[in-house]
Amino acid sequence: MTQVSTSAAAGAINASKIYGKDDSEVRALDDVTVDFALGQFTAIMGPSGSGKSTLMHCLAGLDSLTSGRVIIGDTDLAQLDDKQLTSLRREKVGFIFQAYNLIPTLSALENITLPMDLGGIKPDQEWLDTVVDKMNLRNRLSHRPSELSGGQQQRVAVARALASRPQIIFADEPTGNLDSKTGAEILAFMKYAVTDLNQTIVMVTHDPVAAGYADRVIFLADGKVVDEVENPTAELVLDRMKHLGS
Amino acid sequence: MSSPVVRLTLRGVLARKFRILLTILAVVSGVAFVSGAFILTDSVKSAINNLFVELRGEVDLEIRTKIAFGDSARAERDPVDISLMKDIAALDGVRLVEANLLRQATIIKSNGEPLQTSGPAFGISWTGPDGLDGRTLLEGVLPTESGKVAIDKASAKRAGYVVGDKVTLVGPIGKGEFTLVGLTGTGSTSGGGGASVSAFDPITANEFLGADNKADSIYVGLTPVATRGDIQKAIEEVLPSGYEVITGEQSAQETAGAINEIIDIFGKVLLGFAGISLFVSAFLIFNTFAIIVSQRLRELALMRAVGASTRQIHQMIIGEGLVVGIIATGLGLVGGLGVAKGITFAFNAAGAAFPAADLLISSRTVILSIVIGIGVTLAAAIIPALRAGRIPPVAAMRPELGFSALQRSKRLIVGIATLAAGIALFSVGLFVQPGGTVGTLGGSAIGAVFLFLGVASLSTTIAAPVSRIISRILPFPLRPMTNSVPGRLASRNAQRTPRRTASTASALMVGLALVSMVSVVASSVKKSFTDQLKASVTADFFVTNLSFQGLPVAFAERLAELPELGSVSPFRATVALVNGEEKQIGAVKPEIGDLVDIDIQKGSIDSLADGDILLYLDPARDLNVDVGDTVDITWQNGKRSTLTVGGIYADSSVAGNWLIGLDTLGKVSSAPPVDFFIGAKIADGISIEDARAAVEKVAADFPSAEVQDQAEFQKSQEDQLNQLLAIVYGLLIFAIFIAILGIANTMALSVFERTREFGLLRAVGMSRRHLKRSVRWEAIIVSVFGATLGIVVGIPLGIAVAIALPDSFVTATVVPINTIVTILIASIVVGIFAAIFPARRAAKLDILDAIATH
Repeated sequence: MTQVSTSAAAGAINASKIYGKDDSEVRALDDVTVDFALGQFTAIMGPSGSGKSTLMHCLAGLDSLTSGRVIIGDTDLAQLDDKQLTSLRREKVGFIFQAYNLIPTLSALENITLPMDLGGIKPDQEWLDTVVDKMNLRNRLSHRPSELSGGQQQRVAVARALASRPQIIFADEPTGNLDSKTGAEILAFMKYAVTDLNQTIVMVTHDPVAAGYADRVIFLADGKVVDEVENPTAELVLDRMKHLGS
Repeated sequence: MSSPVVRLTLRGVLARKFRILLTILAVVSGVAFVSGAFILTDSVKSAINNLFVELRGEVDLEIRTKIAFGDSARAERDPVDISLMKDIAALDGVRLVEANLLRQATIIKSNGEPLQTSGPAFGISWTGPDGLDGRTLLEGVLPTESGKVAIDKASAKRAGYVVGDKVTLVGPIGKGEFTLVGLTGTGSTSGGGGASVSAFDPITANEFLGADNKADSIYVGLTPVATRGDIQKAIEEVLPSGYEVITGEQSAQETAGAINEIIDIFGKVLLGFAGISLFVSAFLIFNTFAIIVSQRLRELALMRAVGASTRQIHQMIIGEGLVVGIIATGLGLVGGLGVAKGITFAFNAAGAAFPAADLLISSRTVILSIVIGIGVTLAAAIIPALRAGRIPPVAAMRPELGFSALQRSKRLIVGIATLAAGIALFSVGLFVQPGGTVGTLGGSAIGAVFLFLGVASLSTTIAAPVSRIISRILPFPLRPMTNSVPGRLASRNAQRTPRRTASTASALMVGLALVSMVSVVASSVKKSFTDQLKASVTADFFVTNLSFQGLPVAFAERLAELPELGSVSPFRATVALVNGEEKQIGAVKPEIGDLVDIDIQKGSIDSLADGDILLYLDPARDLNVDVGDTVDITWQNGKRSTLTVGGIYADSSVAGNWLIGLDTLGKVSSAPPVDFFIGAKIADGISIEDARAAVEKVAADFPSAEVQDQAEFQKSQEDQLNQLLAIVYGLLIFAIFIAILGIANTMALSVFERTREFGLLRAVGMSRRHLKRSVRWEAIIVSVFGATLGIVVGIPLGIAVAIALPDSFVTATVVPINTIVTILIASIVVGIFAAIFPARRAAKLDILDAIATH
């Protein structure tokens, strides 16, 4: 249970995150141990305040744990300073956020290659072309975010996350701001990235339909992992959630 | 575009064009001021140097008397005996010898008024264009006999004279009528660089200018084959002791150098004001960048999340500063040309005649403008850049975490330390005065900068409570703004971002603190002057000449003959070495006792007539001398005297530290005397009207002199001070204007930031007018806060300066309530003015768009 398998893309071991002190203490994460296998699409679900976002922030090296460890690939994040964390985010981690995902002053293509540009790395052109084509962005590359629809913006964000072929991609409510049709389209792209492009994605969501696209769903409540479902469907997820709520 | 940081930086600037534009404008005005000051001084100096090189003409050598000490160009030299000319002319290699005679001579216009000039009004001896000096004849003929004069073309034109006209001139010994026969100029100009020049033939000049067969110096021109070094040696051999011979170049350099020094001082004053403007614009830059950083919080956090390092974020923000700095410096340099032209125009309109000069942009001007413009921008962008680097990547999803990172600072400690350091430096500069004038000015200026920064930093702490108080008082005496919704909103908004409110207000504080300080000092000077005049001056009339040339000595002599007047004494001055130190020594008649109460403690004023010297208490104590002891003095011409101390006095406010008799001065110095002013008392039994009529009658022969009674004298001195104040305030306007820009900018940025909020307010029923009013009230709160800070800081500074100024200058300290009330009222106007654009913008918001924006 405490052993993170070598085929895992990332994992947390005895991870705790505590905000505040003494009486006002909030345990956002309470001794969570979890790992995410390579090539898998995992959804993290849970009610508001369950700690799902905190878990993802800590996994992605955006936030630090109070105690415990986070490992991405074979790197223990606790050992890294800000500089190393930055380059880890640049090279090994991809992000897709709910909104405000793109730099408004850069074109779609510039947004996609931004992490690599920042790291001074030349993008792999063949891979980039594949990603751009798969995300159906070929004729949108020179557009600014303000000239793109919400779905197109989110596709650019997915492409950016994929472009550097990271170890793992974290998505925070990627469909939260989209209508259901566009949301489904994005989720299909993400699923495709996992199945056909062999990427690893961890997605935080509260939408059972979105979770239905995943290979595995982890349920969090009060900072603890309380349940887990393999190969879920939306109905199955909804059922479990009702169960959790009771 | 190679580096993503460069690309992001440039895109960032382009995306925020308008917000950046105001910032650029602020830097432009500062840089334009700096480069304008350099361009102006360089251009004027070059024009002056050219003029003197031209005027030197073919003067190869110049013979003059030596001085024992002091400034070569301004020294009061004894005149040379023109009989020397024969011996010099006889030397081999000497082609031409001329007497150089230059005295005061004022041109009187046909309406009887003297022609005002920015430079001196000269009368000269001239042998014509074939002579040695570089003057040329532009029109008419050479004046060759008595009753004829040639005037420089520019002055003749200003006075409305043409060749053939009768012209009245006033020389050192009186008035004369001349026929204008010629108009003169130099190779490249038609004037005398701001001076008026009336040229006479040598014999007429000798008579009219009262030269008594002496000259200021002797010009020597050499034959083409002569070697200058050899001739210089040969001349030195025939010269009597006390004479020297210098080259024409040296002579031109010395004369131009003395004028250049004045221009340099003028330039430094301008630079000082430019520095103030730049300092204020640094606040604006800082503020704009700080606000932009907080508005871009999510964007910056996103960049951090996708892999931008802290360093890259720093580079990006600093880079934006760099772009602003480069654009602003470029524009500022161009603006500098405008500033130079503008200042020339403004000062010329006020009566100064800057010589017409091509504007010169030296490489020093360009380099310093670049260093200053870009340097200030970068320095102001550093703190926002560092803050931006602290934004954690997680803020891309949870902005509230980012705001707390932006807020973190050790403001209070740093603020107090900076303020303390500022006060210490300012006090040391002012009261300890290390390293003379430079140390005093430098120390107190740097101290003031720290002090302002410290107050700016600390003002964040009080911004919210003070804003609350202001909003509860204004618009006094009407009902306070907090009684209405727009007013309450404005008050809350000002309190919501105390840091922004404080730093915006601080920019205004700097300008207004300086205005308050200057007004305290000026009021104190005025009060002290009035007090002194009342306490120690008993003369009924004063005769002054506002030009620094002083009055012809004939005036005082003729006044003394009037039966309507009792005691009359002119005030002359000279410099001398006393105990190895250069001192200003006043020369007066013993009648001074009736005109000025010098509060004699020991001895008598009458001892002046016996050739004694009177000392103020301080020098008497320093030299440890008493009445009857002697003081050794070396005069500027090298003569030495041992004078007996005839008295010791206790009031130096008018008399200065040392007084000798006019006769004593006349015995040791044969330099042409000039009176600074004349004091006169009405004779017993004569009415003031009769006395005045008699004085005015004499004054009619000296149109450049001004006769005033005590009240008029006091008023004219105050007018002069007010004029100086107007110039100082005028120059501070730049800094205040930049601060107004700053308020407008902050308000515009805040409106932009609150788009959603305003949309909501409009949606629930707030009218456009109310929205506008709310923005306006907020701007007023900020500007009144700034004005209050400025007054609170400026008044103690002014009091400190008034205390530090010597007692002979300032004895009373006055806080001018009128000015302070004016500043407060003006600051409300400033707020209204600054809010015009942001308020309009807020009112224009489309409700739906505003709510949809995120």
